[in-house]
Amino acid sequence: MSTPTAEAPGLAPACEPATVVRPSGPADGSEAATGIRTTLAERLQSGDVDLPQLPEAAAEVLAATQDVDADARRLVALLDRDPALASHLLRVANAPAYAPRSAIVSLRQAVTHLGVRTVGELALAASLRSGLVVDARHAGDLRAIWAHAAASGGFAREAARLLRAPVEAAFLCGLLHTIGKPVVLRASLELAKEAGVALPPDDLRALVDELHAPAGRLLATSWKLPAAVVAAIATCAAYQRTDEPEPMITALAARLATFLLGPGLEADGLLDHPVFADLNLYPEDVAGLVAKADAVRGLADACAG
Amino acid sequence: MSAAGGGEHFDLAVIGSGPAGQKAAVQGAKAGRRVAVVERDAAVGGACVRRGTIPSKALREAAVRRVDRRFWPGATDGIAPEDVEIGRLMRQLDRVVDAHSLYMQRQLDRNEVVRLHGKARFASPHELIVRARDGSERRLRADVIVIATGSRPRAPSHVAIDHENVLDSDSILSLTYLPRSLTVLGGGVIASEYASVLAKLGVAVTMVDESDRPLRFLDREVTERFLADFEASGGRYLGSRRAHRVSFDGVGTVHAELTDGDTLASDKLLVALGRVANVEGLDLAAAGLALNERGVIPVDASCRTIQPHIYAAGDVIGPPALAATSMEQGRRAVCHAFGIPPGHPPELSPIGIYTIPEIASVGIDQSEAVRRHGGALVGRARFDEVARGQISGATSGFLKLVADARGERLLGAHVVGEGATELIHVAQMALVAHLPVDAFIENIFNFPTFAEAYRVAALDIAGRRARRDEPDLDAAVERAPARVGVRGCGTALGEP
Repeated sequence: MSTPTAEAPGLAPACEPATVVRPSGPADGSEAATGIRTTLAERLQSGDVDLPQLPEAAAEVLAATQDVDADARRLVALLDRDPALASHLLRVANAPAYAPRSAIVSLRQAVTHLGVRTVGELALAASLRSGLVVDARHAGDLRAIWAHAAASGGFAREAARLLRAPVEAAFLCGLLHTIGKPVVLRASLELAKEAGVALPPDDLRALVDELHAPAGRLLATSWKLPAAVVAAIATCAAYQRTDEPEPMITALAARLATFLLGPGLEADGLLDHPVFADLNLYPEDVAGLVAKADAVRGLADACAG
Repeated sequence: MSAAGGGEHFDLAVIGSGPAGQKAAVQGAKAGRRVAVVERDAAVGGACVRRGTIPSKALREAAVRRVDRRFWPGATDGIAPEDVEIGRLMRQLDRVVDAHSLYMQRQLDRNEVVRLHGKARFASPHELIVRARDGSERRLRADVIVIATGSRPRAPSHVAIDHENVLDSDSILSLTYLPRSLTVLGGGVIASEYASVLAKLGVAVTMVDESDRPLRFLDREVTERFLADFEASGGRYLGSRRAHRVSFDGVGTVHAELTDGDTLASDKLLVALGRVANVEGLDLAAAGLALNERGVIPVDASCRTIQPHIYAAGDVIGPPALAATSMEQGRRAVCHAFGIPPGHPPELSPIGIYTIPEIASVGIDQSEAVRRHGGALVGRARFDEVARGQISGATSGFLKLVADARGERLLGAHVVGEGATELIHVAQMALVAHLPVDAFIENIFNFPTFAEAYRVAALDIAGRRARRDEPDLDAAVERAPARVGVRGCGTALGEP
């Protein structure tokens, strides 16, 4: 098993090293970014970060879908209380990615068509998105984060099927492995505002990419997310450190998502990541995952739209 | 027997590193030959190590240890599926699997077997092309080739296996929590093993199979005992029917529609309806080989295919598809190929089934004894009659010895209960040595042990022998099918 290498230049990293919280910024970072990085890294290390509360709807949906007794009625009842969430779900359920045979007009129909777990996951994604908002000027960045997260979830589920790994946990791990990114995004913008400086977009992205894992780990622990999700957040970039399958599958899924939403899955460099070898994936295996691209893209569009 | 042409030369090339492949390779290396093993997985061991024999047995062991509180009767009452940390059990499996794989890898390395990571296909009868994971290809020539590519779960066309709600015997090992209920399609070894283990862990298990009883190839008394224990764990067996349609309702329930009109609903469904040989991609035609009507590679008693230098061993040649038998097939194949005396062919091989309770068998059963020898005397020892059974709290099993009608010659032994798969080897060696039944009476066994059951069963036969006018010729006993895989490679050329 080899060490993961950096992503191709210009691409959002699939996963970031989980434990790297450096007090000093990169040599090419702006002075403002370096200061913010130092402050934020120290706060993350000490746990002194203003973490958002898990949105109530998300908490309830998560609890409902993690319950072995999860049933459609309980989930529908939860969603009925949140019209915005319900309408978003109906829109997603009607997306081509889920290929409804006829228009889906009710939540119950959506649950029957997609399944309790999928609806629950989509509801969780949607409610997290609504609960982790940032300045409207950065809505595009946030949309890109959610799209990548959703695509990672979609690919993770397919990869788990292929590898005979736990399918049910895979989507959630993929979806939430960068849950720290909105936190870092918002915190960075707030620190920049306090300092009266403007962060160049590249510096902002670099900060988010570098610090999202420790932020996500804090958030996941605070929100009491499932252990597999915490492991995926913490060790996806250094999956060799764990025996659990989820971090490695998440790393693969994130890589595929990055290329799907970036240069395309046919682009050179996709396979230049040790996770393909570490999972012993042959070209035909990768082709099988790539064949799911349309469905995964539909999911990403629906979740981020 | 030499291979001419391009590519690196080996005396022996083995495709697959499971039980058959590994033993074939080691045998070749110990004979001083230059050996290569081609394995598609990164680690050696094949499905046996990763998804078959080792993990399922390790799961069973973990389940027994986790749930069995025999020293405190009643302690297992009320154990609910959610009380069992299946994730922890599965992680235990991973550790066992990794350790065994490492052991096998070291054995190959110690014997200087060249390991090639990739997928092999025939370019000609003596040439293989090994395609690595990165797509690069390497050509090699070999004087002798052994195909030991194993098998995988059969996916019947009428059941869509999604590995999430509808599982096969590979994906069931990915469970992260125990379902409340499970339907198992199949009544064979794999179905019975997982059904009984999960029932013991508190899952409401229903087995469905066309056969009127599970493990039909075994002695009827043995399967009846297994069934009784399975039902005592909350399991249910629906025989003489099959599922013709399986669907997931999208909410949380899998429905299995049965041929008798009933529909079963469960959280998950396991499909365990046999296995198929891994032969795709080998391009057997390039080697001048073809599959038989059962989809396996036909071989003779020495595991040789119709190509004199190409052998096949293990699951890829069909039943019995047991790891122990596969190992011996691999070894014997290479011995035959290089003219090494393989020793006497095994007259019989034991069958071990890792259900709860464990089952093991060697030789013939009662009905077969009646058919072949015109009669049989049977002796039984219940584990509750053996001190060790009482001490261990494992009182539900028994040992059954089958002798000829005179009660002198041992013909078979069948054990169900704790330690059955170990216990059976005593009978195996007695059969191999042609020991009389009385050998169990005349020799001393440690006390208290389960092996004492041999003495008790032999005394039972002796007692019946003394009452010769009351032979145990159970006319109602159904004839059992012929035992499989007890000699050499099991599947003879042209045999169906």
